[in-house]
Amino acid sequence: MSALPLLLSTGVTPLLAVVRRFDPARISEHPLLFGALGAMVLLILCLAFVGKVPLAYNLRNLMVRWTTTLLMLVAFFVVVLLLVGMLAFVNGLEALTNNSGQPGNVVVFSSGANDEGFSNLALTEVSNVERMEGIAADESGQRIVSKEVFVIVNREIPTPKGAPSRRQFVQLRGIEDPQLAGFVHGLKLKEGGQWFSEAGVEESAGGAEGQPQVVRQCVLGNGIAGELGKDRPGGQPLGVGELFEMADRSWKVVGILDSTGSTFDSEVWAKRQIVGEGFGKESSYSSFVIRAADVNQAATLAKSLKDSKEVALNAMTEQDYFQTLSETSRTLLYAVWIVVMFVALGGVFGVMNTMFAAISQRIKDIGVLRMLGYSRKDVLMSFLLESLVLSLLGGLLGCALGLLLDGLTAKSTVGGQGAAKTVVLQFVVSQEVLATGLLLSLLMGLIGGLLPALRAMRMKLLETLR
Amino acid sequence: MFHFVGLIFKNLRRNLLRTILTALGTMALVFVVTMVWSVLDFINSQTAEKSNDFKVLVTEKNKAPSRLPRAYRSSLQEGAARGPDDVKPVDYMTWAFYGGTLDPTKMSRENFLFLIACEPEKAPTMLDDLDQLGPADMARLNAGVAKMKKQANAVIIGPEQLKTMNKKVGERFTLNGLIFKDLNLEFEIVDTFPEAAQRYGQTSLMNLDYLLQGIDEYESKNKKKLANADDPIAFIMLKVKNKSDYERLSAQIANSPLYTSPAVRCESASSAVSTFLEGWKDIFWGMKFILIPAIVITLALVIAVAISIGVRERRQEIAVLKVLGFRPGHIMFLVLGEALLIGILAGVLSSAGSYLLFNKVLGGIALPIAWFQRFFIPQGAILLGFLIGAGTALAGSLIPAWSARSVRVADVFSKVT
Repeated sequence: MSALPLLLSTGVTPLLAVVRRFDPARISEHPLLFGALGAMVLLILCLAFVGKVPLAYNLRNLMVRWTTTLLMLVAFFVVVLLLVGMLAFVNGLEALTNNSGQPGNVVVFSSGANDEGFSNLALTEVSNVERMEGIAADESGQRIVSKEVFVIVNREIPTPKGAPSRRQFVQLRGIEDPQLAGFVHGLKLKEGGQWFSEAGVEESAGGAEGQPQVVRQCVLGNGIAGELGKDRPGGQPLGVGELFEMADRSWKVVGILDSTGSTFDSEVWAKRQIVGEGFGKESSYSSFVIRAADVNQAATLAKSLKDSKEVALNAMTEQDYFQTLSETSRTLLYAVWIVVMFVALGGVFGVMNTMFAAISQRIKDIGVLRMLGYSRKDVLMSFLLESLVLSLLGGLLGCALGLLLDGLTAKSTVGGQGAAKTVVLQFVVSQEVLATGLLLSLLMGLIGGLLPALRAMRMKLLETLR
Repeated sequence: MFHFVGLIFKNLRRNLLRTILTALGTMALVFVVTMVWSVLDFINSQTAEKSNDFKVLVTEKNKAPSRLPRAYRSSLQEGAARGPDDVKPVDYMTWAFYGGTLDPTKMSRENFLFLIACEPEKAPTMLDDLDQLGPADMARLNAGVAKMKKQANAVIIGPEQLKTMNKKVGERFTLNGLIFKDLNLEFEIVDTFPEAAQRYGQTSLMNLDYLLQGIDEYESKNKKKLANADDPIAFIMLKVKNKSDYERLSAQIANSPLYTSPAVRCESASSAVSTFLEGWKDIFWGMKFILIPAIVITLALVIAVAISIGVRERRQEIAVLKVLGFRPGHIMFLVLGEALLIGILAGVLSSAGSYLLFNKVLGGIALPIAWFQRFFIPQGAILLGFLIGAGTALAGSLIPAWSARSVRVADVFSKVT
C-alpha cells in the first residue's frame, strides 16, 4: 500500500468513529463547554460581519507576515494537540470504569473490605447470600450469583537468555460458572472460542520428553491478549489454542472475550478452583456479583445486604464500585489541566508578542483606517478578529490531528492505593474533548489578542500618522 | 566583549514589553518542564540500580500483594545462610501492613490510616534517604524509635498524615482493622517524622511485634482464625554490600528448601519498584517523549516569534551597524545573545522559583502515583532550567540570527526614502 492511501485509511477510521459517536443530545449535558464555544464562534462571526474593516485586510496581513503566522499556528496546533491527546487518555480511563459496571449488579465483599484485593468471603457465605430476597433467578430457578476469586499474579515475562528479568502484574479471576459470570458481567466470547471446561484443565502436547502436559484453561480479555502477546517474537496478540507461561504453570487460551471497553478486557479468567489452589485462596471467595431481580432496585438490594444481621458483608452496586476506581483518572485530569494551563499561558504570551508586533508594524495603517472613517471600535474588532482567526486555524489543525489518536491503546492503572488494577485502555476523542481543545485555542487567541487590540484602539490619530 | 553585552542589554531594554512577554512565556513553559522532569527524575532514581548498599526485597513469588508466613521471617533476615561461606545481609527490615479506620461508621479518607509494621530500630538505616538526615533530625528520629521499642503501641506518623487525621503527638487512638478485619488496635503517637524527611509526610510506622502479638491475642481470645493472619508479613527487605553479594544471596534463597509454600522471589528493590510501576509505564513514556518535547517545541516557537519580529523591525539598524564596521558574525552574536540572555535568565528564574515554591512553600508536587504521594524538585532542576532556556533560545533564534547576519546594506537603504 502506498503512503497516501495508508495515511488516508488510518486517518479516516478514527474520524469515522468520532463522527459515529457524535451525539447532539450530549451538547446539553455540557452547557458551559458548548455554550462558551458557541459564544466564541458567535464572537468571531460578529467581528467578521459586524466589524467594518474587511476581513481580507487581516487575512492579507497574516499572509504578508507568513513566517510569524506559521510559527504561531504551529504553537497553537501543538498546545491543542497536547490537550486533545491528554484528555483523550483520561477519557479512555473514565470510559473504562464507566463501562465496567452493569446496571442491576450488586458486588459483595467481606465486611470492611472495599475492594476484591482485600476481601475474603468464606465459602459458606454463599448460601447466606443466595437466601436474600431481591436476587434474580435464571430459568431453572437458580439465583444469579457469580462467585469469584480475584488475584494479581506477579508474572515473569519470558526474556532471552542473559537479558535482565522483567515482570508484569496480570489480573486473574477465578470463576465458578463461566457462562453465568459472562451473563452477569455482560461479556461474550469472540467467535471460535469457548468457555473453560468444568475441570478447568486439559492435556496438551509440549510436555517434558515429548509427553503430554496438563495445562490450565483460560479465557483472555481482549486487552490482556495483546499485552501477553507483546513479548513474543512478532508481538501478535495471543489467540485461541495458544499457550503461555504464568506462575510456573502453562496456560492454554480457550477463548477471547469480545471487547467491551471495560476493566474485564485486561483480565485472565480461569476456573475458580484452579485459581484458588494456585494462589492460596482455595477456602475463600473475593467477591459475589449478584444480579438484582429488579434492575432499579440494585441499590436497595446492596443496602439490605450491607445492613443484614445474618451476614457481615460489604455490598454496593457494581457501578458505584467502579466509580470508586476512577481515582486515578481524577488525579490525571487534575494534572493534565495544570500542565495545559501553564503551556497555554506560555502560548498566550507568544500570541501577545505577535499581535503587539503586528500593531507596531501597522501603526500607519491604523492611522489611515481612522482617517478613512473607521472608528476605534472597528480597529479593536479588526485586530481581535485577526488573533482569533489565527487561533481558530491552529485549533482546528490540532483537533484534526488529534482525531488520529482515537482508538490508540495504552496501559494505565485504575483505583487508588492498595486496590490498583493495571488496565489497557483506548484513547477516546469525544466531541467534548474536541470542543475543549478548540475552546482553549480560541481563549488563547482572545486573551493574547485583546490587550494588543485595546492598545491599537487607544492610539491617537495624530500619533499614528506622525 | 563588554561592549557587545552592553548592546544586548540595551536592545532588550528598548522593547521592554516584548522582552517581558517572551520571558514570561519562557518561565511558564520551563515551569511545566521542571515539574514533569522532577517527577520522572524521582521515578528514575527509584528504579535505577545502585552499585553499593544494594537493597533486596524477598516477596511471595507469584502473587501481589505478597504475603509471607511468620515462619519465614527469622531465616530470611539471615538471607537463608546456612554455612560459613554463605552471604549474610548487612542489614534487614521486615515489612507488614496494618490498615484501619478511626471511625468504622465513617469510612472517609481522613479516617483511614495505613501503617508500616516493622522493627522500629531498622527504620533509620533501611528506609530510603533517612540516613541523609542532619545530626539534629537523626537524633530526633532515633529518640522516636527508642520510644517505639520501649512502648509496643507507640507509632511515628508523618506530619501531613497527622494533619489529615487532625491528631497531635501525645494523643491516643484506636484503629478498627480492615486488612486484618476485626483486629482493633490502640496506639499512641510518640513522634512525627522530621521536617527534613519530606518524603515521609504521609508515612506511619508501628512496631511489628505489636501487630503479631495482637493477632495472637485475638485468635486465642476468640478461638478463631483471623483473616489474612496466616501470612501477615508483606516482604523482607535486606541490604547487601554489592551486586555480586546480591546474586549469591538470591541463589541462596532460591535454592533453600525452606520456602516452598508459598515460593519466594528475591529481587533488587529497584526492579521491584519497576514492576509495581509497570501500569504507569505508558504514562511516563508519554511524559518523557511527547509532553516534554512538545513543550520544548512550543517554547522554541515562542522565542523564535519574538526574535524574528525583533530582527524584522531592526533591519535598518542592522544595516547601519554593518556600515559602522560590525561584521556579520557580530550581528549574529548580538541576536543570539539577546535570545540566550532572555532564555537563560527566564529559565533559571523559573526553575529556581519552582524549587522554592514546591519544596519550601507547597511541600512538594501533590501527585499521587502508586504509593508516592508527593514529588520534590531536585536541585539539578536549576541546571535544567538553564539548559532548556539556553537550548530553546538557541534553537528559536538561529534562523532569525542568520537572517540578521545576511542583511544587505544596499537592499535596506535602497528602500529608504
